[in-house]
Amino acid sequence: MAGDPASHLPHGISFRFVDRVLEIVPGDRVVALKNVTVNDPSLQDHFPGNPLMPGVLLVESMAQTAGLLLPEGLSAVLAQIKEARFRSPVIPGDQVRIEAIRRGGLGALHRFEVVALVNGIPAAEAEIVLAVVMPNAEKQP
Amino acid sequence: MSEIAQRIRTLLSTRLKLATAVDEITDDTPLFGPTGLGLDSIDALELVLGLEKEFGVVVEDRATAVKVLASIRTIADYIQSQGKG
Repeated sequence: MAGDPASHLPHGISFRFVDRVLEIVPGDRVVALKNVTVNDPSLQDHFPGNPLMPGVLLVESMAQTAGLLLPEGLSAVLAQIKEARFRSPVIPGDQVRIEAIRRGGLGALHRFEVVALVNGIPAAEAEIVLAVVMPNAEKQP
Repeated sequence: MSEIAQRIRTLLSTRLKLATAVDEITDDTPLFGPTGLGLDSIDALELVLGLEKEFGVVVEDRATAVKVLASIRTIADYIQSQGKG
């Protein structure tokens, strides 16, 4: 896929936790990849000698994936994380496949069911609500 | 009405974390705002999805939600006006 398919996320590159979009049906469903690598800054100290992707960052990755389903040009923040489960550790070398499905919304709120899989096995799942808060700030070229 | 109202009470108690016992909520208790249960917009979304699943009624937008979700009675009226329940 040419370019950077996740580039319309409002996050700066150092806080981007989506590497590639595999499939997207805008407003409905999306499948994306996050590759986990040992020199990722967040893994250096989590934990020394025993790198493990922090669960909160896995949720961030899931939320960013869900955010790809919102219309371009909007920024959203987390409003609710529900039924989050972390089923197995995510470690360097893992490729996380994140599948998000939109399950309705009201006003600025959008609800998603999201699952993160490694080798086809669920590593985490959650129901996530995003709240649209503002148009994206003007991006640097 | 009372059977629908009871199903709405069940919906409130199963889908939301209420500080009030569900049988203390009258048909006219305001669901939102400081004089009522004090539900917020995330609760409203939860209720809208619950009503769709339980009764097959769709609350399309926020303006409709503000009117429909005022109380158990307004929800019940909406369900009946949609020919559901």
